[in-house]
Amino acid sequence: MGVFVLLPLVLPLTAWPMARLAAVHLAPRRATRLLTAVAVVLAVSSTLCLALLMVVGTAQLPGNPLPDAWSDPAVRAAVPFEDVAGRAAIPALLAVAWACAHALWCHHRLRRRATRALAGVPGRARLALLPDELPYAYALPGRPGRIVVSSGLLTRLDIRERRALIAHERAHLTGHHHRYLLAVQLAARAHPFLRPLRTTVSFTTERWADEDAARAVGDRRAVARAIGKAALAGQGRTSPAVTLPALAAPGPVPRRVAALLGPVPADRRWPPPASAAGLAAWAAAAGTAVSALSAVNAAVTLLLVLKAATAL
Amino acid sequence: MADGHPATGGEPDGPPARPRRRGQGQLEAQVLSALGQSPGPATAAWVQERLGGGLAYTTVVTILTRLRVKGAVTRERAGRSFVWTPAADVAGLAAFRMRRVLESETDRHAVLASFVSALGPDDERLLRALLAEEDPDGPEDTPDGGPGHGPRTEGGKD
Repeated sequence: MGVFVLLPLVLPLTAWPMARLAAVHLAPRRATRLLTAVAVVLAVSSTLCLALLMVVGTAQLPGNPLPDAWSDPAVRAAVPFEDVAGRAAIPALLAVAWACAHALWCHHRLRRRATRALAGVPGRARLALLPDELPYAYALPGRPGRIVVSSGLLTRLDIRERRALIAHERAHLTGHHHRYLLAVQLAARAHPFLRPLRTTVSFTTERWADEDAARAVGDRRAVARAIGKAALAGQGRTSPAVTLPALAAPGPVPRRVAALLGPVPADRRWPPPASAAGLAAWAAAAGTAVSALSAVNAAVTLLLVLKAATAL
Repeated sequence: MADGHPATGGEPDGPPARPRRRGQGQLEAQVLSALGQSPGPATAAWVQERLGGGLAYTTVVTILTRLRVKGAVTRERAGRSFVWTPAADVAGLAAFRMRRVLESETDRHAVLASFVSALGPDDERLLRALLAEEDPDGPEDTPDGGPGHGPRTEGGKD
């Protein structure tokens, strides 16, 4: 398998240009799906390679539970730098496993607690209106999913904007956006290089819901106004949430409002090949394909070598 | 919060009409809405009777005490026992609980798709400019966010 086993560890870098450009040059729905798929494949490939490195690395540790033949010279020869890489892969893989398990656990705990908080609240059309001055609105996935809106937010919106808000949250539920968010969250935990993809996907899911809401209420400006008012209402209140570090570019909220005040985005399947976005898309696609192939190649090679060495 | 609660454990399976064991949140909501039907301050025994079978007296008192901690009910002494008065409705209780969930979870943005995220340093100016451009009258929202101008609009609004 040679150095191929190390490729999936660096190939997530090829998705970075795509993560920057997809939000602008692709329709939100397609951008979300594409980036999520890319992130998941890259994350699985890199984790698989870490596991392969670990198998060989662990085989050299005294007292390991693996068969002796696994540290056979033939097996060692198949993996480059097995000393360093193998040993480094063990803590890395443990860190990945812990981070992913923790993310999953947090996800389920938050959903469970939020669902329990809403227990007994009546609501037509799955809408739970909570008397709270703090302006917030959430789509809480589940069976059935619920839409949580605080009265503090609702009183600041007029009737059209309220409809836009509800349509936005409903789009989150019907589109199962939480699955994309969870997938990229896990991918980002599996490989830190995939974090920009997570940031982009959390933006494109909002844009997706914005566009769906605009279509549902037939008024792009109402959605834009609702977002703007909600964001301004939330200003000046200390939010305990982790916020993204301030970027040079405008934040997600003004970009969403600006996009809604502009025309409907073209729903093209793939950005034009000659453009920067097209190049970025091809780079990400190629990187993902190479990453997946390298991982599979390394796995098959190691399996064959082990089979030959141990006569399984 | 984590006081000894016999509520969930001591509850019998109940009649078949009740399909599943009720969660803690469900139970609190039921007690609160039962109390809300009372014309005046009610005793725990009244609430227990109102709820029908299945709940022990101590369970009802435990739940009422928990609701009091959450500010959803108040109590005052009447003779040898307490009488209870609802201070919030079921939605108000849910708001309290939701607020606590939102404040305790640090990474909630990864799970709950929030309608808006926090604004960056320049975002507010940019956003006001965008909205003003779109709507010459400007957003009627005051810069300080105008806290407390929300009379409680209760459920049933759509």
